[in-house]
Amino acid sequence: MRRQTKHLLRRTTFGSVPLIDPLLVSIARYSSTLSFLAVLSVVTIAGIFVMRDVKSTNIEAQKMYAGSVLGLHRIGELQYEAQETRRATFYALTTNDSNLQVEYADQSREADRLVSEGIIEYLRHAQMPQEIEIGKRLQMDWSDFLEVRNEVLASILEGSTKEAVNLDQAGGVQSFDRVRQDLGEIKRLYNEQASQRLANVVAGSRRFAIRLITVLVLTLAFASASVWAIERSKMLAAIQLAELQMEFVASVSHELRSPLAVISSAADNIVDGVISRKDDVQRYVGVIRNQSRQITDLVNQILQFASIQDGRSRYVLRPLEVSQIVESVLGNTSELLQGAGFVVERQIEASLPGILGDLSALSQCLQNLIVNSVKYSGESRWIGIRALLADSEDRASPEIQIKVQDHGIGIARSEMPHIFEPFYRSATVVDAQIHGAGLGLSLAKNIAQAMGGKLSVVSEVARGTTFTLHLPIARRQDLQMAAGAIESTPTIENE
Amino acid sequence: MSRWTGRFLILTGAGFLAVALSLASDPPRRAPPQPSAAPEQNLAIVVNLSNPTANLSMAELRKIFLGERSHWPNGRRITLVMIEPGRPERTAVLSLIYQMSENDFNNHFLHGLFTGEVFASPKTLATPVGVRKFIFNVPGAIGYVRATDVDASVKVIRIDERLPDDKGYRLHFPSRPSN
Repeated sequence: MRRQTKHLLRRTTFGSVPLIDPLLVSIARYSSTLSFLAVLSVVTIAGIFVMRDVKSTNIEAQKMYAGSVLGLHRIGELQYEAQETRRATFYALTTNDSNLQVEYADQSREADRLVSEGIIEYLRHAQMPQEIEIGKRLQMDWSDFLEVRNEVLASILEGSTKEAVNLDQAGGVQSFDRVRQDLGEIKRLYNEQASQRLANVVAGSRRFAIRLITVLVLTLAFASASVWAIERSKMLAAIQLAELQMEFVASVSHELRSPLAVISSAADNIVDGVISRKDDVQRYVGVIRNQSRQITDLVNQILQFASIQDGRSRYVLRPLEVSQIVESVLGNTSELLQGAGFVVERQIEASLPGILGDLSALSQCLQNLIVNSVKYSGESRWIGIRALLADSEDRASPEIQIKVQDHGIGIARSEMPHIFEPFYRSATVVDAQIHGAGLGLSLAKNIAQAMGGKLSVVSEVARGTTFTLHLPIARRQDLQMAAGAIESTPTIENE
Repeated sequence: MSRWTGRFLILTGAGFLAVALSLASDPPRRAPPQPSAAPEQNLAIVVNLSNPTANLSMAELRKIFLGERSHWPNGRRITLVMIEPGRPERTAVLSLIYQMSENDFNNHFLHGLFTGEVFASPKTLATPVGVRKFIFNVPGAIGYVRATDVDASVKVIRIDERLPDDKGYRLHFPSRPSN
């Protein structure tokens, strides 16, 4: 009935998504952190992409400027200085004053020095074979031109103007034309490179824009998905809580109704005089007492769970012997065990070290385990209780282990992760109409953790279950301090 | 005139005489400054760096400077470079090589060019720097500068197997500041 209600609730309130919803429920607890990390990751990745693209575009633009624009500027200067070399030589032709001629020769030589340095600089930066080839050719052609230029200058200075003109026409014009062609070719090469690099920059910018838009769209989509997931997980959590509450109310009502019905029926029989014999009256009163105790235990469990949830539970820690705890538990459950016909096999190692704990809480913890074994023992009527000293998995020092073992119906592997959840009851036990509120194991686990220990379980379906309560050994100084301060009642608060 | 007045006049006159004599006499003579030997500078004969000629006799040098030789042994035309008139280097060259005055020098070249005995008139530059630059630019040029004005752009040739710093070098002249 409860399961039907649960499924009906799910169907009617919210469209379930089989694969996503369990995941969302499990991440609901960390939704804020996860969403922050997710958005941070996406933004970081987007930032990396954007930075990389900006950087590469910037580098390309710098390359374009350094390689092509500056290169073109340098070639422009080379062309000017080459013209200046020739022009200054011709200026020397226009005068007979040797002093002026020497000055023009100086100007020509200064210009040719700049051209020669420019060619060397160009060759230093040239990387492609074509650039190197043109650079070397220019260097050679410039050298040829300078040879002619030197002869022309010498002739001018010597006063042989006609010879100078003849020399220039014979060799100077051609060699200078070759230089001009070389410079033009270099300029064309630079132009091609500049066009190529400009195309690269444009392509890079376009790629950058596309990536940026893609990343932004993805970020938006991811953020939307995150918001949707968070909202959905919150909704699922709320629904789950409502379901648990409904299940809890139904379960508690069911647990209360059965004993109350028995109590009511017994009381009616006594009052109506149906039962008149003293033995029968005593038996009916015993039934009423047992059922009342069952109700009291249930209410106590609920109250204890509520106090743990509110963080109001207090434990009084004191030095305890393991045998003392076991005796207390068996004393509390003897009536139940005997009434159900159980055989309890008890093995407690001799000389076990003491522990520091709350006797009442530890008794409650073990009692819950024993009651659990009784409930799910199936046909078996055997329970084993062992207490021993063993190595701890979590700490270097040994620990006390108290095992409660049965040969009952066992727990399916798929149920294992949920058995310590409050109000959880497996479908099998619900179907088998085994009564319970689903709080016993949850409470036992909480108590174990509050005592500095833990609760573990090993189970096999149809073979039985072993719950183990792991408790740390009390240190000597803790025992002494607890014993000395027993009047001040040291407590720990369960959270 | 009283006796005392006469004595006063005699003494006063004697005093004036003494002062006049002392002023008229020569002051203590100092030794007159001895004419020191004027510091001399050597004149370097420089040619283009590509010129293979390393030595010239004084006679060959004179022939070249007179324009009577037109080509170097390597076939290059000789171009004579002179510094402008008034410079001590030019004066020294006229004196030491040409053994002519400025007028004689001018007449020599006018006459030589007219008759064809001289192949080219010298080029005249204003400064030693100009001379150096001209020689640097013209492979067949020859000229002169002070030895201290020589730099790596020109080549100094030996005259009678002597460089300017060598003992017995003949081309030197009294030092005077140059521009």
